[in-house]
Amino acid sequence: MSVDPRTTVLDRLWSPFEGQSGSRRSLLLMSPLILFELLVFVVPFLLLVRISFSEQSQGLPYAEGTFTIASYVQVLQSELLQGIIAYSFKLGIIATLLTVVLAVFYAYATWRASGVQKSALLFSVVLPLLTTLVIKTYVWVPLLAPNGTANSLLLAVSLVQAPLQMVPNTFGVVIGQVYIVFPYAMLAIYSVLTTVEWELVEAARDLGASRTRSFFAVVLPEIMPGITVATVISFAWSVGAYSAPALLGAGSDRPFALEVQEQMLVNFNWPIATALSTVMLVLMFVSILVIYAVLGRFGGDVANAT
Amino acid sequence: MSEIELQNLSKSFGDIDAVTDVSLSVRDGELLCLLGPSGCGKSTTMRMISGLETPSSGTVYIGEADVTDQPAYDRDTSMVFQNWALFPYKTVLENVAFGLKMRGMGKQQRRDRASEMLERVHMDGYESHSPTDLSGGQKQRVALARSLAVDPDVLLLDEPLSNLDKRLREEMEIELKDIHEEFQKTFVHVTHNQDEAFTLADRIGIMNEGRLVQVGEPNEVYRDPKNKFVEEFLGDTNFVSGTVSDIDGQYGYLMTEFDSEIRVPVASETQPETSLTVSLRPEFMQIAPITDSSNRASHQTRADGNGGGGVSGTVESTIYRGSSIRHVVDIGGEQLFVEQGVTDQTAIDEGDTVELRWDVDDILVFRPDGTRVRD
Repeated sequence: MSVDPRTTVLDRLWSPFEGQSGSRRSLLLMSPLILFELLVFVVPFLLLVRISFSEQSQGLPYAEGTFTIASYVQVLQSELLQGIIAYSFKLGIIATLLTVVLAVFYAYATWRASGVQKSALLFSVVLPLLTTLVIKTYVWVPLLAPNGTANSLLLAVSLVQAPLQMVPNTFGVVIGQVYIVFPYAMLAIYSVLTTVEWELVEAARDLGASRTRSFFAVVLPEIMPGITVATVISFAWSVGAYSAPALLGAGSDRPFALEVQEQMLVNFNWPIATALSTVMLVLMFVSILVIYAVLGRFGGDVANAT
Repeated sequence: MSEIELQNLSKSFGDIDAVTDVSLSVRDGELLCLLGPSGCGKSTTMRMISGLETPSSGTVYIGEADVTDQPAYDRDTSMVFQNWALFPYKTVLENVAFGLKMRGMGKQQRRDRASEMLERVHMDGYESHSPTDLSGGQKQRVALARSLAVDPDVLLLDEPLSNLDKRLREEMEIELKDIHEEFQKTFVHVTHNQDEAFTLADRIGIMNEGRLVQVGEPNEVYRDPKNKFVEEFLGDTNFVSGTVSDIDGQYGYLMTEFDSEIRVPVASETQPETSLTVSLRPEFMQIAPITDSSNRASHQTRADGNGGGGVSGTVESTIYRGSSIRHVVDIGGEQLFVEQGVTDQTAIDEGDTVELRWDVDDILVFRPDGTRVRD
């Protein structure tokens, strides 16, 4: 029995915009944005789709004025490219799960902290945003290298006998990727968490719910919109990850962004690059709809209603 | 058994002492009101009973057990919150059944019990509604049902009526009293509203600045306030300060701010020249117009043979307050207010010269530090 079938996570995300759409005035206000999106997103994207249906050419990036679906056939049949798509999604799923779980913990701790502690926790999240992506990704190399800080510590306390291989490999890629998306996920959850009344948690505990149960019964349903946003941000970014696999990955850590880059700039095979991108875009779109649907179901009804 | 015993309970938040050395016994099955202005520590005291707050020092007993270090979810208390704290993503029925679910009661059983509780608070028919769709009064009833459903030893009510309008509040007061009689539980009710406390309470505990000032039955604390704070907080009154000019046995003469002497009861240790403040409650004073023109000019104290006292002055304003009329009377530059029932036929208008009379023994006298003067 759910409270209100219409109150899905999507509705709750859209509700601030409701009542504003539909009027001509708001359309007028939105027109600069719509124009901007048309120019920098929709038009280039249509060009990109058009290129993906062109024939591949030896001397040029693609053969203009031709039409074929050969590149799509190639993308969907090539085991190498399928492997690359699968790797991208695996990285996306693992990094997203880790990020969202950590972000919920971190956001909750920040919410409950006060004074200097709270400022320190918030500042620590925002600080990495001030550094460029390449530097904050690359910084993991000296930390995780076989002779790096992490291994020195582990060896010093005799937790391991020989240095662990952490970079360059998938472990390093996941760590780097989680580190990149964590601030955005945490802030998305935290912003919703701050609107939750602490009294609800107290009421749950007063009625006999333990700390863990009161979190799952009362806090989690309330922060589902934040978790949804955090999940979508983390997932979209991690599936399209570029810098973490490029800097921290081994040769086998090859997500689609690296492949597209190579096809575009090294092989000059634009039809393959754009076809792969389009396939990924469609898959991402479907994935995000699935995420909304799944999290939306949990949004109002997480504590398996009475 | 569910009496509550608080021993030397203190709570500070950083540098702020919210509650200081409160010792209090709440009897089994009693409805005790903790009454005091905002920030007096009454809510913090209640939260320490519920376990939502841990005392800085002191002990909390519920029944025979020391529960000081027990978390809220292990205590057999249940709280009704000021803002009701209903779970917004659960239905009314799920809200009421929540505590039973946490106690591991089976699904059908807890649904039946929750429905029964909703019926008791006249909220049957709202089972599948969302709490966000309910009015304040309805939320109040659901919150009450949710707390009663777990059959707690002690029910704690944290200003649950303060967000309701006057009429609804009075209705809920009666209903709370009925529920208290029916369930025979120990209730602790926190409020800043004197009327609410007088209507509901078996006993009232008055708090100020983190301390428990006085505990007693409603008529006891009203008739016999321990200090000036209690007298001031429990009802509207006129405070008049002055210096003792003369002592005559059990009575002294107080030279007041309005340049006339009034006769007040004093204690045997009271010396002349002491500063005292007296409380002239409006309900102890009678107002009567002076028709005799020879008395008009004087603001004289009038002491007659039968222990009465009085002053005369000019009516400055008259405020119609529904069931009563409040007259503000100017006496030599100082104002006293007095109340007159609307059925009282004596017509008094602004500008009239009137006489205020009282029985000297009704006057309560306080020292400058607020303590009561009495023998």
